Amino acid sequence: MRLLIIEDEPGIAGFLKDGLEEEYFAVDIAYDGKSGLDMALINEYDLLIVDWMIPALSGIEVCRQLRKAGNLVPILFLTAKDTLEDIVFGLDAGANDYIKKPFEFEELLARIRVQLRNNNRAEDSLSAGSIKINPVSHQVFCGLLEITLTPKEFALLEYLVRNKERVCTRSRIIEHVWDIHFDSDTSVIDVYITFLRRKLEAAGCENLIQTIRGVGYIIRESGIS
Amino acid sequence: MSIKPANPVKKSRSFFKDFSVMSLRNRIAFYYTITTAFLIAMVFTSIYFMVEKVVYKQFDEEINNEVEEILSDSHISTHDFKGFANLKNIDTDDNDKNSKKINVDTDFVELVNSSGEIMNKSASLSWCALAFNPNQLGKTYFNSNFGGSMVRQAQVPLINTKGITEGYLIVAVPVKNAIIVLNDLRDIFFFSFPVIIFTLFVLTRLIAGKSIRPIEKVISTAEQMSQTNLDQRMPMPYHHDELYRLSSTMNALLERMQDAFQREKDFTANASHELKTPLAIVKGTLEVLVRKPREREYYETKIQFCLKELNRMARLIDQLLMLARYESSKINTNIETIALSRHIDNVIERVRPSAFAKSISITVDHAENALVAADPGMFDMMLENILSNAIKYSPPGSSIGVVIKNIADTIVCSISDQGIGIPEEKLNAVFERFFRVDESRNSGTGGFGLGLSIVKKLADLQQIKVSVSSKENKGTTFTLILPAVTIND
Repeated sequence: MRLLIIEDEPGIAGFLKDGLEEEYFAVDIAYDGKSGLDMALINEYDLLIVDWMIPALSGIEVCRQLRKAGNLVPILFLTAKDTLEDIVFGLDAGANDYIKKPFEFEELLARIRVQLRNNNRAEDSLSAGSIKINPVSHQVFCGLLEITLTPKEFALLEYLVRNKERVCTRSRIIEHVWDIHFDSDTSVIDVYITFLRRKLEAAGCENLIQTIRGVGYIIRESGIS
Repeated sequence: MSIKPANPVKKSRSFFKDFSVMSLRNRIAFYYTITTAFLIAMVFTSIYFMVEKVVYKQFDEEINNEVEEILSDSHISTHDFKGFANLKNIDTDDNDKNSKKINVDTDFVELVNSSGEIMNKSASLSWCALAFNPNQLGKTYFNSNFGGSMVRQAQVPLINTKGITEGYLIVAVPVKNAIIVLNDLRDIFFFSFPVIIFTLFVLTRLIAGKSIRPIEKVISTAEQMSQTNLDQRMPMPYHHDELYRLSSTMNALLERMQDAFQREKDFTANASHELKTPLAIVKGTLEVLVRKPREREYYETKIQFCLKELNRMARLIDQLLMLARYESSKINTNIETIALSRHIDNVIERVRPSAFAKSISITVDHAENALVAADPGMFDMMLENILSNAIKYSPPGSSIGVVIKNIADTIVCSISDQGIGIPEEKLNAVFERFFRVDESRNSGTGGFGLGLSIVKKLADLQQIKVSVSSKENKGTTFTLILPAVTIND
């Protein structure tokens, strides 16, 4: 999952990036509203974390312009202002949720997960065939057997499982699993897919990830024998 | 019985209470009516008495003529009062002598001796006698009742050649018509008075009510206002009168209040942002840090980073407390005579490390050995704040100049830098709390925007004038004007 943090305080942006990357997220940072808005419009992010008081363009304005452009990416705003009207104003501008500074990092993670899960399913039910993924503890099970994955492998598998039954193109995978500093050499995906397949097969889950030649990859529940 | 005296007291109290809560329009009408009633009563009374006086004067003249006529008789002129008394007819008019009935429309003449016995009288008097007042020695005019109607009469003493009063001549004329006129006049005045007063009260109340209606509007607007809803303004009346001034004064007051509230609100928001940001950074960094075991070096850098943030926070709290202390209570200044150049040198020594770090040079131009009146501690703090501010916003390698001049009986101390400068439209706000040219409030540049508002506060406390001028990208100059001290030998 790829996140964009729009925050002018380097201290806050810094620990957010460190902490979130440890949680297997790909994280980009924008230090002002204008560049943040540009990045959000160009790249496809799974979630935006926006500070309300930022230079060039306020967080509210970033939020409004994104919604106006039809961008429905979940937005979580950070605010030091804690009056009711500020919060109502922020949510009405198109934000999905807010968190007050100073906040608990665990709470931020939980709120991010809320925004990322589809159809409000419980977090532990992320699964495809006999594969079960726990995005909170970052554990992957094949039946009862736990599979140990590297952060990138885990992020790749999580993305594919969240988008199961859909073809994931290489460029989309790059956008959602790797951050902006990654030069778009898509062949690296094939390498990670190979690693992933090997680990899954060792645990007994074969043919989970199928290749669509020249396009990308797909996980099909029906395709698993 | 004991209750009785208490009752009127209570009543009068409630009257005063009622009076004190009386509406303004009623009070205006009340006062106006009372005053006018008094004036009208005075006018009516004086008119009445003047008319009365004129009428009686006319009667008195008439009687006088009569008296003259009688006294011009030859008997009188020879002072033969006996003969005069024996005159058959002293009638002046052709009265009906045989009439038994008194004709009050005619004149009456009566002659009495000194003891009051009637010596002779006109036939018009018939069997009646005129009133006689033996105590009146001179010539007198008075009213009396004669036969059920009013008469005006004169009593003239008849004095012989030896100077002895032999008797009195009494002449009377009826005044019935005049009395009717006077009574009518009095009745008209008496009945018209309450009508006039009542009409006046009603009209005054109406006019007063109409003219104070704008006040009612002011009251209702003020009632709707609250701390959170200060953007309402008083309606301006049509006429440019006192009420117009009242409304405009109140509006100006509201404007200032709203500004003050807004500044207070901004201050709280800024303070909360400035305090919460380092707190959030430290908290977040440490939370991420303890999530899993890490290298020793990583711990060290992160903890150093947190300490830096905490120091920044401590600095902010210090400044906020200082500002609060100078603002809330009366601070006693300890003003004494100080040698300006020595203090400037001391402060420059203190800020030299940070200037050295950016290789900024500080030059001082001591024109003379200036003595000023200031609080040494406060003055040093002011100077340090201005100098650190100058260092903070100056490019590396530039220079800061301090110039001291003696102008008239003041010492002018200016501190100029070659820094980024302040845009002209923001120059007014530099002394406001949390003001920063860079509005994003990014902590990268370092300051909180409190230093200069502390400078301003300290300057005000010591009666030092502080001003600022600036050119963007050229530099900023802060000027302090201090009272000079001259020592007489």
